[in-house]
Amino acid sequence: MATKTDVDDGIGGYLDGSIAAIDPRRAVLGSVGIAGFLALWWAASLVQPSYVLPSPAAVGETFYAEAASGEMATAIGHSVRHWVPGAAIGTTLGVAAGVGLAWSSVADDVSAPIVRTLRPVPPLALIGFAIAWFGINHAGAAFIIAVGAFWINFYAAYGGVEGVSEDLLDVARSLGVEGDLELLRSVVVPAASPEILTGVRTGIGRCWMLVVASEIFGVPGIGRRILRASNNLQVDVVIAYILVLSLMFLLVDVMFRAAQRRALAWR
Amino acid sequence: MNDERGDGGSSPKDANDANGNAEGEDRTVGGAASAARVRVAEVAKHYEGTEGPIRALEGVSFDVSDGEFVCLVGPSGCGKTTLFRIIAGLESATAGEVFLNDERVEGPTPDMGVVFQEYHLFPWRTVRGNVGFGLEKGGIDGEGGIDGEERRQRVDRLVELVGLEGFGDSYPKELSGGMKQRVAIARALAVDPDLLLMDEPFGAVDAQTREMLQSELLDIWRETGKTVLFVTHDVEEAVKLADRIVVMAKEPGRVRETIDVDLPRPRARSDAAFGRYYERVLGLIRGERGTPDV
Repeated sequence: MATKTDVDDGIGGYLDGSIAAIDPRRAVLGSVGIAGFLALWWAASLVQPSYVLPSPAAVGETFYAEAASGEMATAIGHSVRHWVPGAAIGTTLGVAAGVGLAWSSVADDVSAPIVRTLRPVPPLALIGFAIAWFGINHAGAAFIIAVGAFWINFYAAYGGVEGVSEDLLDVARSLGVEGDLELLRSVVVPAASPEILTGVRTGIGRCWMLVVASEIFGVPGIGRRILRASNNLQVDVVIAYILVLSLMFLLVDVMFRAAQRRALAWR
Repeated sequence: MNDERGDGGSSPKDANDANGNAEGEDRTVGGAASAARVRVAEVAKHYEGTEGPIRALEGVSFDVSDGEFVCLVGPSGCGKTTLFRIIAGLESATAGEVFLNDERVEGPTPDMGVVFQEYHLFPWRTVRGNVGFGLEKGGIDGEGGIDGEERRQRVDRLVELVGLEGFGDSYPKELSGGMKQRVAIARALAVDPDLLLMDEPFGAVDAQTREMLQSELLDIWRETGKTVLFVTHDVEEAVKLADRIVVMAKEPGRVRETIDVDLPRPRARSDAAFGRYYERVLGLIRGERGTPDV
């Protein structure tokens, strides 16, 4: 009898793997990178007028001012109100459609021409529909975001399900699993879950990028704030809110990665 | 039909065996059963190959009695695995039929516990999760399923039966090949099948592990009273395990001969009678004629 191999780093290790597991060498090198970038930025800002490139310090001040005044929280609050439903709906529908079409060859063949036609349409091109169907509001912006999340999840789930081993399905059938829904639930979705979760994670990130696009037609939020500041040549504000977007993305991504790691502890 | 169960095996499991009976429903062996557990009747399988039709199997017929341990051996390319898949209901035959308990096999059924060479464990499930997979469906034995506590106990018993106590919460990636195959066997036994159908189950593990698994399988067979149909290309393995060996030939894949192995268990390779069976089966596989009778 072979001995039991180590269980990775134990259950506790999965809780906050991405934060706790930062190794010191990478942390140091990363800090060097940030410092170098800031130095370059600062040097460049010395020879440019502030409406072209404000200094890091100026951006920092603006960031603080926006945070202190409550503007920032308001903008984040608005964006979250369409980011969350947009990402949730787009992800759910994308995964469902990807799993369903990869599983059913009939549905796949029926939908193939439509899928291939709609696939290349950038979410931004659908702004007209967003306004017409939902109006200039959170629902309209959520629609744009959902479209973006949909395709990423669709293809990730589709690929994941296509890769599910036929042998596992044979095993399940020989153990009495009958019917598509039962097979999907007990074998297909869990087997494809690594790909599906990677898609969800990519999609969540993409949704933050789409926040700017989704607010272009007047819905308030981080993106709107960036667009308005751009029009007024307030580059420091633009950069401050770009930073906000990055931080929001980072926060969500770290949380999702921790959850993903725990869900996929079996790998 | 010989019904020697080779009681020479002094497995530690025999001493404190409490779980064996719980798994097996019918321990009577030998001549009692009139009907065969498994009947393979004139099974043929033809493919369209690039150079004309390929006759992978032609007119394959044999029976497996209740409680019997039958090995199916043959040279590579004789259609063993195709036959295995047809019997398991995973593939359809071009002609002929397979019966399990006199019922025609139309597709995969939990009445057969299927074990593959490559284990095919569900990697996202723990050992217990894999073993319990077939019990979660609720429809076991058509009795509306078994509840959580009973299921837990059954899974525990099976994990113990295959010698994996202490590994119940491990994931397949943490297990060696031999341990994975033990899980696969326990998973197949969980739904209390009438037949354990195995395709080269020990082909992917090292020699020592294979030997250990072979004797453990015999223990399990003895304890549960299951009927076993075991596909292998390893003649020694077949002689060691089987009550009866079905020797296949290729082009087209067919049954060449059926040999009763009339040796007490445990069987040793060094034994002269073992050697004679071995040579005879090997001779049949190589297509030699006029090999001496045992």
